[in-house]
Amino acid sequence: MAVIELSDETKRQVERIGSADLVVGIAGPVPAEELRSRVEPIVAGLGSSVSLDRIVFAFAGPYAAAPAGGAEGESASQPRVALLPYAPPSAASGEFWSGVSVQQRTILALAASLNARACIVLGADLAALQTHVLQLLAYAVLDRQCVLAMPVYPAGRYEGLINTGILSPLSRSLFGKRIHYPIAFDFAVSGGMCGHFLRQTAASNGAGPALLWPVTVAATQFPQQAVGQVHVSVHHRVATEGLELSAVLGQMVGSLFQEMEQFAPQWQRVRGSQATPVWGNAPEEKPGGEPVDPQPMLDSFLLGSRNLDEVWRLILPPNVLLDLRRLTRTAPEQFRMPDELWAGIVYDFALAYRLRTISRVHLLGALTPLYLGWVASWIQEVSRLSGAALEQRQEQLARAWEEKKPYLLSRWRWPDRFNP
Amino acid sequence: MWEQVEQSLHSSMVRVMNQVATLLPGILAFIVAFLLFLFIGWLLALVARRILKLFRFDERMGRGANAIAEWSPRATPTMLVSRVIFWCFVTAGVMVGVSAFEAGTSEHIVSGWILGYVPRIVGAAILLLAGNVLARFVSRSVLITGVNLNLSYARLLSMGVRWMILVLTGAMVLDHLALGGEIVELGFGILFGGIVLALSLAVGLGSRDLVSRSLEREAARPVDVPQPEQIHHF
Repeated sequence: MAVIELSDETKRQVERIGSADLVVGIAGPVPAEELRSRVEPIVAGLGSSVSLDRIVFAFAGPYAAAPAGGAEGESASQPRVALLPYAPPSAASGEFWSGVSVQQRTILALAASLNARACIVLGADLAALQTHVLQLLAYAVLDRQCVLAMPVYPAGRYEGLINTGILSPLSRSLFGKRIHYPIAFDFAVSGGMCGHFLRQTAASNGAGPALLWPVTVAATQFPQQAVGQVHVSVHHRVATEGLELSAVLGQMVGSLFQEMEQFAPQWQRVRGSQATPVWGNAPEEKPGGEPVDPQPMLDSFLLGSRNLDEVWRLILPPNVLLDLRRLTRTAPEQFRMPDELWAGIVYDFALAYRLRTISRVHLLGALTPLYLGWVASWIQEVSRLSGAALEQRQEQLARAWEEKKPYLLSRWRWPDRFNP
Repeated sequence: MWEQVEQSLHSSMVRVMNQVATLLPGILAFIVAFLLFLFIGWLLALVARRILKLFRFDERMGRGANAIAEWSPRATPTMLVSRVIFWCFVTAGVMVGVSAFEAGTSEHIVSGWILGYVPRIVGAAILLLAGNVLARFVSRSVLITGVNLNLSYARLLSMGVRWMILVLTGAMVLDHLALGGEIVELGFGILFGGIVLALSLAVGLGSRDLVSRSLEREAARPVDVPQPEQIHHF
């Protein structure tokens, strides 16, 4: 993937607009009329809560959908609003997150071109296009001077398990920022950093699908700048039909492994993690719901352990293989994968990814049964926990990853000292 | 009479010794040429490896062309290049040695035959290497994909795919080397045809009842209301 280039027509539209205080970008195609009808009450609601003169709403759509001038504010207290359609790059139709990341980068490019003070990126389903969400994100970036503001979604105990099990704890242990969702549909970036995000992601392109990891860029390039989080009561509708777990897991985890490789000099110097400020009201605790049967996940794990032993042997050290073998002999109701074991497994896979011990496609495919084993263990542990206890359990998991980091460091620096 | 016998034995021994004495320089020349080129090849491979490591050849190759690493992860580009250099010089040493051997004997039959056959050997070696790499890659892909699709027979499927590719590769190599002639073609055709026929019979006959029971169940099943997913991975 090359550097994000705006089309000529988009550049003309940008020149016509000139500049903006805030760019709100929708990372996907949206009907212009629907967007206009949603935007007007939001801008009226924003009113004087944020000191903005001009807001540009960017969306993927045909250029004839909305004139660049847009509608002026009805009163002096309301900011002026413009709708800016942009042509999504051809790579936006890529698999799952790849397409989303391309759209997000395009919006950041628009914000950089408009010299915006802040840029808010929202998901294409418009679930986050709400007054209080924009207020909170703008407040975090403009008033509290955060370089990046990430959302905290009200996820249930069985939701976002890839994030809970791998992405969040791995990102936290590597880069030292306690962020619930290191990759998200919605986030806000300060204006001065938009161009830097583009330059950074452009440099990392050229090797595999390049997803946009805002937390990685903020933590490595601006470690002294604050990163914040905001509670948003938003549920994004993710079309899961036709998506294979192994493909999505491979895409997301593989991309984070690539970030690890690229930013190795930075994360190796990070010790522990820092709490990040959180704004907004935490959602009410959801009821636990019916317990989920872990047997299908357990069956997948057992099938993997019977058939993929020859592959796992190339990646995992003997003591881990022994622990996994012991787990296969555990009764289903007592099946528990220790946090340290799980963290070590992912670190070993990250190392094998870097060393190309086996084909990367095969490596990420071989992770799926192990992940399902962790899921089976996790859902049995958390099925009866309260909201507060669940948060504590997640914190315990994240700390285990941090405590296992010296193991990753030693194997990363001296891979030849141990080679399965 | 015994004198004539003794004379014949003596003259035949002299002829044999003369022939050995004629061949010996050629054999020595072959050994010297081979050892010399072996040493040169080893030296140049070592130098090439050092230079390529100095210029971070593996890292540069890794950014652009991942094909080698994807198909044969353990053989780094540097190692491949140094091995190619080494074996080129070994091959050259063999050919120079054979030529030196024939210069001593003034017979060029062997070198002509070898020179004509070397391209086939090289082609067959490449075919064999490619076939092995392909078999390993494809069988592992099938294994991992099968496990992720919860197929209990994933390993069996993977082994079957690996052996089919290896058998196909073997047949192509033998054909390329012109060994076995029509026997190889016929044998391969019978083997592959037999496997396909056996599979067809097994699936067709063996699953006849299963298919009909499955169709009956499908027709009798009430319409399912899709249940909402309880677990969301993403």
